[in-house]
Amino acid sequence: MSSRIPNSLEELPVSEIRWIGKGVERLEDPSLVTGRTEFIDNVVLPGMLHCAILRSTYAHARIVSIDSSAAEEMEGVYAVITGRDAARLTNPATTAPEGWGAYCLAHEKTRFVGEPMVAVAATSRYLAEDALELIIVEYEELPVVANAQAALAADAALLFEEHGSNVMLQRKFTWGEVDSAFDQADLVVSDDYRWNRLGANPMETFGCVVDWNPADDMLTCRGSFQSQSYMGLARSLVLGLPSNQVRMISHPHGGSFGGKGGFRGVDICALLSKAASGRPVKWIEDRLEYLLAGAGQSWDREYTLQLALKKDGTVTGLRVKLLDDMGGTAEAFGAVSAAKPLAAFTGCYAIQAAEYDLTLVATNKVPQSPYRGMGPPPHNWVLEQTMDKAARELGLDPAEIRRRNYIPADAFPYTIASGNEYDSGNYEAALDALLDMADYQKLCAERDSAQAEGRLLGLGLVNTIEPGVFDWNAYAIVGLESTGVPEGITVAIDVMGRITARLGFSLEGQGQYTLVAQVLADYFAVTPADVSIVYQDSLSAPPHFGPGGSRLGVAITGAALGAAHLLERKLARVAAVLLQCGPDDVELMDGFLRVRAMPEAKMHFAEVAGAMLARSDLLPEDIDPQPQATYVWTAPGRTPADEQGRAKSYLTAANACHLVKVEVDPDTGTVDILGYWLVDDCGTRLNPVTVEGQTMGGIAQGVGAALLEEYVYDESAQPLTSSFMDYLLPSVYEVPRVEKKALTTPSPFTPLGAKGCGEGAMHTTPAAIMCAINDALSPLGLSAREVPASPRRLWKLLHENAD
Amino acid sequence: MKPPAFEYAAPASVAEAVALLDERGFDAKVLAGGQSLMALLNMRLARPELLVDIARVPGLDSIEISGGCLGVGAMVRQRSLEFFPGLADSHPLLLAGLRHVAHPQNRNQGTVCGSLAHADPAAELPALAVAAGAELVIEGPDGKRSESAEDFFITYLTTTLEPAELLVEARFPLLPEGSGWSVQEVTRRHGDFALAGAVVTMRIADARVADPHVVAFGVGAVPLRCTAAEQALAGAEPGPAAWKEAGALVSEAVEDPLDDVHASASQRRSVAGVMASRAMEEAAARA
Repeated sequence: MSSRIPNSLEELPVSEIRWIGKGVERLEDPSLVTGRTEFIDNVVLPGMLHCAILRSTYAHARIVSIDSSAAEEMEGVYAVITGRDAARLTNPATTAPEGWGAYCLAHEKTRFVGEPMVAVAATSRYLAEDALELIIVEYEELPVVANAQAALAADAALLFEEHGSNVMLQRKFTWGEVDSAFDQADLVVSDDYRWNRLGANPMETFGCVVDWNPADDMLTCRGSFQSQSYMGLARSLVLGLPSNQVRMISHPHGGSFGGKGGFRGVDICALLSKAASGRPVKWIEDRLEYLLAGAGQSWDREYTLQLALKKDGTVTGLRVKLLDDMGGTAEAFGAVSAAKPLAAFTGCYAIQAAEYDLTLVATNKVPQSPYRGMGPPPHNWVLEQTMDKAARELGLDPAEIRRRNYIPADAFPYTIASGNEYDSGNYEAALDALLDMADYQKLCAERDSAQAEGRLLGLGLVNTIEPGVFDWNAYAIVGLESTGVPEGITVAIDVMGRITARLGFSLEGQGQYTLVAQVLADYFAVTPADVSIVYQDSLSAPPHFGPGGSRLGVAITGAALGAAHLLERKLARVAAVLLQCGPDDVELMDGFLRVRAMPEAKMHFAEVAGAMLARSDLLPEDIDPQPQATYVWTAPGRTPADEQGRAKSYLTAANACHLVKVEVDPDTGTVDILGYWLVDDCGTRLNPVTVEGQTMGGIAQGVGAALLEEYVYDESAQPLTSSFMDYLLPSVYEVPRVEKKALTTPSPFTPLGAKGCGEGAMHTTPAAIMCAINDALSPLGLSAREVPASPRRLWKLLHENAD
Repeated sequence: MKPPAFEYAAPASVAEAVALLDERGFDAKVLAGGQSLMALLNMRLARPELLVDIARVPGLDSIEISGGCLGVGAMVRQRSLEFFPGLADSHPLLLAGLRHVAHPQNRNQGTVCGSLAHADPAAELPALAVAAGAELVIEGPDGKRSESAEDFFITYLTTTLEPAELLVEARFPLLPEGSGWSVQEVTRRHGDFALAGAVVTMRIADARVADPHVVAFGVGAVPLRCTAAEQALAGAEPGPAAWKEAGALVSEAVEDPLDDVHASASQRRSVAGVMASRAMEEAAARA
């Protein structure tokens, strides 16, 4: 049934909006802060066993033999499985690009250090880990492909022999008249960049409890699943089960940021459960496992970026060449991160001609996973830093060169060269608001006088687009070509008039349950506390996807409004019978179904619902007496990708403008962030408190990316950063206080005008900090072109004049 | 991250603890605050058969000032010392140094003597002990002995403690009247181990540097007492030239520093000198 979804707050059936757009306290928080939220490691099932996983110590090796007999005989051990079992009972992982997947346990060869080799189920995790020590694996070392350049060498060892090459994908996309833009340019500015591997590190790692019931062949998976339905479908393909025999129960989890992963863990536990006659098997990925080979590694990139410019600073052409080290397989869909930049390839700028020369290669590192931002953050950095270089060469202020290239405010909706359509925005207004708030002129004067004294003080001013509300077509170039991502919700009113919303995703930290309660509270003129949100498993909930690609806030708002509207129509029909008028004469207003022409003739929605549930005998036969409705929202107007990957993909385009002041200590190579200002515009802010949290979290991760976080491998692809002593996350001390201002340019395409904002400042902060560092280094004629700008790198640049 | 099986003992006296250590030798390990040992156990990098938990030994958690020294017992948590009344006056150097030790959560558990006995060369407390001229009181099967901090540290994670010995107290001499002091370090993040750091104390007498102590840390196998820098400073006129010259001597004294993902060897050597110079400047200003 179709539904009419309000596009603005004014269309809601209340005389006063009380909850949407307000900083409503999160319904999720009391349980979290009192320890009542049921995380996966709290789950204990009768007869449950515990899994531990033996992992490869070699980056590339043939498996000669595995002797697990001593482990099998150990008291308390109920199952031991190897790659042979996986190859016999399962299919290799589904991947993008297709055909680069492995079994959940290494079979015949291992492709990265940390790859699961053997799994044990025992009566405790302690015993399971003891059993691992009794297993002997004999390896025959193979030549190692330690990085992307090595993968391309003519004599490189092959990760997947059947492909005859380590290249997963190599294509050049051309949009517009790129060659002529460069031929006719007054100035071409170019640089090479290196973004090192980093990624998501949620507070909670992945965990699951899986049981494979031998009686009915039903697989029940409990876990910290980011997207339970998608994960369940993939399990049915890998494990060869009908999709309706895989039931995914997602528990609240401590963050994801794209790094929840867990595919192999679920498959391993499924096989262990099967081997242990259906006993449930729990696996909690520990932090060492996560850092060694979890879903926390992304974006291992070498870039060359070229800009073609006119003398006045107008950018007429953009060329981006990317070589990305995807690691040992494509199992975690990391390649999506190389495709997503198409959704905002030219940033805030009206650049009509662009080219993307893309090479994705397999190496003996951990397979790449998604991470907050999904690829654009490095792309934004290289674009913004090259804009600054162009500004320097043309003698323009960084603010001015940007201003001269913005997509004008009256040009929206605007189709960018790479095919996506931006919904709305006013970039110059954001820039002006930022320069004004930060007193940019004064900051520039301070920077100039500090630099005159020899201090390395710099300013970084950047602006970026955050694509919001993903659709699969955004990733068509890596093989995910469909369109339509469903998000469904059922809204029901009970006999006491209370509202319950049922949906298919669990808590992950972003506050979407609160958002649903806000929307329904305003629709029916109740309070958020009057609305219960009930999570449903993958076989019970309406069609759903869950969080991902900055979509859930917009999608669930659409679903809630759609379901509320359908329910309103049902209630109106019943009220019309009870009030003895035509159904079209009845409307919902402030919680009452009332007769339009005679507003004093009215019934509260609870009375109407009560009548439906208790006295359906009074209703005409063709009226469905359930006071509930389900609506499944998908983004409108998405188009299939053409042969150059162009599509209307991400529905919204939020924008942000950041300014940061840093000082580099030349003696130590360290960077201090001395000031931070930002203006952002993500359309209607449905819950400003939630947006604020997303922004600050994105800034924290951006600081980590710019200065701290890096997975380092040695020349034989052995990891060197295997604990939080070496993989450095920012703490509260490293994250600056930020002065913020919000602008609101509503999206014309979304319910209530909101835009995706969940990935937020991660798009902008790394670029802003790097541009500030480079401004600080510019008097020395040096440029930092590797992320993170660690003290080791900056000191080398400053003292050995090399990078 | 689950430890292999181990036995656990919670002796009620130092004598009982020492007897257990004597009986089990290298197979036993002392557990105090557990901030290093528990992680090593969970990662299965340490596999002692017996843990001797000294947390329940009465009297080991005392802090007292006597005989011109601040005495810190084996079970004194770093946080307890940090909040010891009057520490800002009685031993400001220790207070400044403690605030660089990891995070409050770690300091709530971690002990002063545990950090000394663990002997991580990038940790602050061993360097503070050497700079302050601390005496370490050690009890073993043959009774008590005392050793200077400078002699105590042998190399990475290795001290003169015998398997059957327990470090029962660290005694930090109070700084002489008129002393200035400073702790300077470079870390990747607040609370991390130092890439390089320096502890300096000195007095200024008759407009000249007197009684300088210069210790670098994070740049070698043990805290590095820089005698060449101290000699250059002694009697020197305080000022940038002196600090720069002595800092350069600190860099020179650094042998074979660690080269890892966080800092190169040459960077650590150079930064140790920079930290020492900055510490000298600050110490002189406080003297």
